[in-house]
Amino acid sequence: MRIPDEGYAPVRVTLHVNGRECKLLIPPHQTLVETLRSELLLTGVKCGCDDSNCGACTVLVNGKAVKSCCMLTAQADGARITTIEGLATDAGLHPLQRAFIDHSALQCGFCTPGMILTAKAILDENPHATEDEIREGLHGNFCRCTGYKKIVEAIMAVQRGDYDS
Amino acid sequence: MRLERYEKPETAEACVALLRQYGSDAKLLAGGTDLIPRLRAGVYCLKAVIDLSAIPGLSGVERTEDSLFLGSMLRLRTLQKDTPLSAPYAVLSRCAGHVSSMQVRNVATLGGNACNASPSADTAPGLLLLDAVCRIRGAAGTRTLALTDFLTAPGVTALQPDEFLEGFLLPPCRPHTGAAYEKYSIRGDSDIAIVGAGAALSLDAQRRICHARIALSSVGPTALRMYDAERLLLGQPVSRELLEDAAHLCSTACAPISDQRASAAYRREMTRVFTGIALQQAYGQAAATFPSR
Repeated sequence: MRIPDEGYAPVRVTLHVNGRECKLLIPPHQTLVETLRSELLLTGVKCGCDDSNCGACTVLVNGKAVKSCCMLTAQADGARITTIEGLATDAGLHPLQRAFIDHSALQCGFCTPGMILTAKAILDENPHATEDEIREGLHGNFCRCTGYKKIVEAIMAVQRGDYDS
Repeated sequence: MRLERYEKPETAEACVALLRQYGSDAKLLAGGTDLIPRLRAGVYCLKAVIDLSAIPGLSGVERTEDSLFLGSMLRLRTLQKDTPLSAPYAVLSRCAGHVSSMQVRNVATLGGNACNASPSADTAPGLLLLDAVCRIRGAAGTRTLALTDFLTAPGVTALQPDEFLEGFLLPPCRPHTGAAYEKYSIRGDSDIAIVGAGAALSLDAQRRICHARIALSSVGPTALRMYDAERLLLGQPVSRELLEDAAHLCSTACAPISDQRASAAYRREMTRVFTGIALQQAYGQAAATFPSR
């Protein structure tokens, strides 16, 4: 049961999440990670530090990687949002997802959704990204399990074309 | 964190009216990468945020005959990657690229980095090197203020309660100018700098220094201009010893603190090292503008 808090002016937003239009009425203080996880039940979006450091909450907003914990949902009105749930299609997992599995680029998996979306943003913007550019692009995503080596290898495998069908 | 309202004015006048209406109960929202975490941590308790992103004229780059205007809402990643700037203005793209990580830079803004006024803000030294002037809008209209006077204390600027920053005016650059910025931090750009060193040098036809700017971040309460070191350089032919002397002077003139990242003594030493590097780079760029002998 939600206890109504009527002391604020709710904000109407339209988000296009993983290809679906979502019209929401949300509190002005709700952050994008809260909306995605609690309103839209997209719990593939992880909430780690909740203060803009760890990158676990990374989603794509209009194709750009963004930390959803430090963005008000109201700021994303009208935007096209991609979460990890939006990567796989009926045809199967996204190449980055397959590469992460094949290269053991995840252990606990908590950083993985954000890591994969950041990787997608890196390669979408720069299909010829070098290893240095990939590592630089990953600066905003922390992983405590893998030591990053396998993550970088997986991304480079996709960049190299190993997963082109 | 709790807000009563999310405001998104569509004109500068509406924004100023909201600032006057709310007073200290509202803060301006640019990208939000500093504001939102602080709100969630309870550092501020507000009734509203005032989103600047719908106000026209704040996100662009405008070139006129006698100035370059950079809007306060210019996203740092846009400035880093998608804004062609001729040297030495291009040092700002480098500074912007040193702020945090790609995700933050996609959202964070040039104006936000300045108005947040962290002593370690990476874009501040670049703007200081280029003699940036802030264009500020308030109830009384528009005013300008040199960035050196805009940054007053850690986290504090000269903005009045009813004002917002429209952007930065950069004067024309002299020919034969090079500008560089070096950030030294333990964990790369997503870490806060131990020192950030910026230098700009202009050479005359005899390759003597006719104009010098040195600006440092993270070693004082605000980004600092190093006036004494600049005076040391003026009129001199460039030598390794001259640049080293200037860097040494900066290490004594700055005002670092000791914190969990570094001791004040270490910061002074790194100021000497990285100012020297920035000066060398600036000189190299300036020298390269002459036709090769």
